[in-house]
Amino acid sequence: MRNNKLRTFLTGFAVAWGIFMLIILLGMARGVTNSFNSNRSSERSSRLNVYQGVTTEPFRGYKEGRMVQPNMDDISNLQHDLPGIVEDVASYKYLPSTTISSSKDYVSASPQGVFPAEKEMYDLTISHGRFINDADIRYNRKVMVLGKENAKLLFGSEDKAVGQRLSAMGLSWLVVGVHEHRWITDIYIPFTTAMSLAGTDGKVSNLQVKLKGLSTQEDADRAETAVRENLAKAHTYSPDDKNALHIYNRFSSYLKESTAFNILNMSVWIIGIFTLLSGIVGVSNIMFVSVRERTHEIGIRRAIGAKPSNILTQIVTESVAITTMFGYIGIVLGMAVMQIASNIIGENDVMKNPTISLSIAIEVTIVLIIAGALAGLFPAIKATKVKPVEALRDE
Amino acid sequence: MIITLKDVNKTYPGAVPLHVLKGINLDIERGELVSIMGASGSGKSTLLNILGILDTYDTGDYRLDGVLIKNLSENRAAELRNRMIGFVFQSFNLISYKNAVENVALPLFYQGVSRRKRNILAMEQLERMGLADRAHHLPGELSGGQKQRVAIARSLITKPSIILADEPTGALDSKTSKDVMQVFRQLNSDGMTIVIVTHDPNVGEATDRVIRIADGIIQPTTPTINV
Repeated sequence: MRNNKLRTFLTGFAVAWGIFMLIILLGMARGVTNSFNSNRSSERSSRLNVYQGVTTEPFRGYKEGRMVQPNMDDISNLQHDLPGIVEDVASYKYLPSTTISSSKDYVSASPQGVFPAEKEMYDLTISHGRFINDADIRYNRKVMVLGKENAKLLFGSEDKAVGQRLSAMGLSWLVVGVHEHRWITDIYIPFTTAMSLAGTDGKVSNLQVKLKGLSTQEDADRAETAVRENLAKAHTYSPDDKNALHIYNRFSSYLKESTAFNILNMSVWIIGIFTLLSGIVGVSNIMFVSVRERTHEIGIRRAIGAKPSNILTQIVTESVAITTMFGYIGIVLGMAVMQIASNIIGENDVMKNPTISLSIAIEVTIVLIIAGALAGLFPAIKATKVKPVEALRDE
Repeated sequence: MIITLKDVNKTYPGAVPLHVLKGINLDIERGELVSIMGASGSGKSTLLNILGILDTYDTGDYRLDGVLIKNLSENRAAELRNRMIGFVFQSFNLISYKNAVENVALPLFYQGVSRRKRNILAMEQLERMGLADRAHHLPGELSGGQKQRVAIARSLITKPSIILADEPTGALDSKTSKDVMQVFRQLNSDGMTIVIVTHDPNVGEATDRVIRIADGIIQPTTPTINV
């Protein structure tokens, strides 16, 4: 090893490069995954979205081609009829664009009637006051939650908004909260208030059904069927007709996406490990040369009482030491590059926080140790086969 | 008897099998200082390797300090070499990148002795050889005589039953050779059994008994006169 610094260095470089690439690839995969995950989680994905549709089968005297639209009754019925499956049902209603004015200024916007669940679904952060609550829904209160830009515009600063009054659609509204979101700037009012102002017949454009205790595809399918059958009964259409009301199962697509990300992650590991393999073969090669060069030393050690297992341990330990040493150079460089990249890229839509976590660094270290041990194993087995007498003769 | 060989035969297989040891009978008593002499090709190196459990034999019996050395596993052979035999070689066979004290301590490493303890014991042996001031020198920085004394210190550290020396003065000048033989005589007078393989008559004369081997057979003993 000492005799061949250049060869050791070149091989070490191959190991470091392999690990460096593995780290970069893992970091990028992690960035892409993070970016998607920031908008999806199993908690928030446990939902069915129900949209209006048109029947494609005749049923109980009705012809096909009949339009079906979810309504206010479905919201309370689903919760009431399926207590073991449905945790919560929400919907939304956009009112037509209107002028909302304070004593200082005015904005033009479409207030959105929502349920309290909206906050969790869109990951809204309330910076001041509170969000729409159950009491607001129950009593059709005239309260508003503003985006921070609008709050600033209407009241000069966002912390002055809560408790102030606004006038819109000929009514006086109380501002109860300010939310901050990077791109959602909606003005929220209670869903029931919006429905009574819209003056429609209780029809809504969609239902967001939050489900309980989902963990597998079977759970998601079973819940979807139960909800479909319940709605089919309420709206009198065939429970097999999937076009009467479209149901989008977010949990199913969440599971599919999760599988896709697992495959992405696994591919990255496989590519990275194959890159590392060329370095490992190099280490194995120099260990073979080293064993050959040190046959005499091995003979001496055997003569003074080293067992074959002692020799094996010695060679494998050296191999692991070389591999982890150069591997660590690769890890450190890779992490440094990912940190710099993370600072440059920052947060965009493709990647989010593409850095390597401690757990990945530990996993990579374990890979290195195993790789080093494997690289040393075959040369070490060869070393144990050396007969002491012959080894001592070898000069 | 510390060494007993009864009708030991050894043949190296090959296109023309080579019968190197043809029925060796040999007894060496505890506390003896003997030399085995013979021309090259006489079988003396093979005999030494068998005595040192570095090589196996085909038929016969070899007992070392009461232990039958036959059909041993690699591990058992390594353990017996480590505990019962101290080797001294012609070319010293020190490990070049380890200093004197590390070389001397190495056999204890394979007994699982802690680094601290084996370095203390190694220093004691080096002091005994008068090399305490050279303890942290690499073999490359030592003279031939010093290297051989480091090797002798290493052979002594496990308190073996016998010392086997293979041409221990072969690489040394005559004055240093005498010094090294003096070391062996000193160890022998402390009770150590020493077997020296050599072709140098001067070395043979410095031992108590000379065993002559020729063509794989031990020659009838002619009593030697100690000088």
